[in-house]
Amino acid sequence: MTGKTGAASGALYLHILVLAIVIVSELIGIQRLPIGIGTVIFLPILYAFALGIVFNPAIFKATGKFLSRDAVKLSGAMITVAIMPFIAKFGTTVGPQISKIIEAGPALVLQELGNLGTIIVAFPVAVFLLKMGREAVGATYSIDREPNLALIADKYGLNSPEGAGAMGVYATGTLIGTFVFAIMPPIIHGLGVFDVRALAMSCGVGSGSMLAACTGGLVAAVPDQKDIILALAAASNILTYATGLYVGMFVALPLTEWLYNKARPSERRTAA
Amino acid sequence: MSNQTNTSANYAEDLALSPEDERKIDVVGHAGLLLIACAIGLVANWVGTGTSPLTALPGMATLYIACIVGLALARFVPFYLPGVAWVSLIAILITIPGVPGAAWVSEKVEHLNFLALATPALAYGGLALTANEFAIARRSGWKIVIVAICVMVGTYMGSVVVADLFLRLGQ
Repeated sequence: MTGKTGAASGALYLHILVLAIVIVSELIGIQRLPIGIGTVIFLPILYAFALGIVFNPAIFKATGKFLSRDAVKLSGAMITVAIMPFIAKFGTTVGPQISKIIEAGPALVLQELGNLGTIIVAFPVAVFLLKMGREAVGATYSIDREPNLALIADKYGLNSPEGAGAMGVYATGTLIGTFVFAIMPPIIHGLGVFDVRALAMSCGVGSGSMLAACTGGLVAAVPDQKDIILALAAASNILTYATGLYVGMFVALPLTEWLYNKARPSERRTAA
Repeated sequence: MSNQTNTSANYAEDLALSPEDERKIDVVGHAGLLLIACAIGLVANWVGTGTSPLTALPGMATLYIACIVGLALARFVPFYLPGVAWVSLIAILITIPGVPGAAWVSEKVEHLNFLALATPALAYGGLALTANEFAIARRSGWKIVIVAICVMVGTYMGSVVVADLFLRLGQ
């Protein structure tokens, strides 16, 4: 009886705390910090995430009194629920721009393969510079969001070296991904080299918060292109949802395995 | 084939992984939670843009219905596509020019700022992190932080370069 009341009030406290965090974050609003090579853009989603961590019961013991373990668990379930209206709003930006999307079609589809760029950039750093072992395979084959992690869990188990690498990048990405994706695109746009449409369609990496940060930063930097930025990012994100797991399974992971065996022939082991 | 142990199963449970769980989505239970999320979203939009919740309500109601239909499709269609993908596809469909009501939907959702709608999810995200996730990040050490940043930069820049190239070729 009391347990049930406790769970209900824990849930109520959770939603009220979220409401308070949201109001404060939106009141602060978008802030711009000009630096030499461009502008660093701070978005309300960053403050909301940071405030969430500050009040997280695992960090701030006082909120543990109000937020039970169940409330924290509910909060986890609420992420996927609360991102839905955002995803829906994002989708509605595509319809009106559908002819421009189709026009950019080949670039939009092929940039999905560009996600393999993680292997080009991160694999050599992990294997040759940081001398990591098989953790590097799990860590660098993809951006390691939930579907990618599930693939690693299925193939190697999460307590394997590959699993540890994937989990590490997953946890780090969860902690700093929003920040990285809010900061990076406006700075790259500032270089003046790339088409803003290319910057926009690359925002779809299969994570709602990274998508929000990336497009938020770009729109703040190039407000007059808002409609096309949102539409292309939304379209590319849907493509990633649809293709990400399969690219990982049939291209990225076998490729990373192959590269690792070439880089460390002495460690070669028979396929699991 | 599968060499998972208890530890990995615990991890997976704590991180709410396994996409196949979505096949068992409780659409009715989600409808209530989604209502709370939409209400907080309206407040975020109000504070962030000054648009009154009443003005934004028809747009939000439309998004709500799109979400519910999307979740129901993810639950009942016999092949796997994530709920968010279904939600996106429906939202696209109802705004394509020529589809009945598309102009009305586009006009109504225009009152909603896309970024304000993401704020509640990130607040829940910060609060949802478990001691386990902080521990994993700490245990993985500085090398993983560097690799993670390279992964994010590489994933993004790889797409940017390919997309830019093909946009130029298409011109």
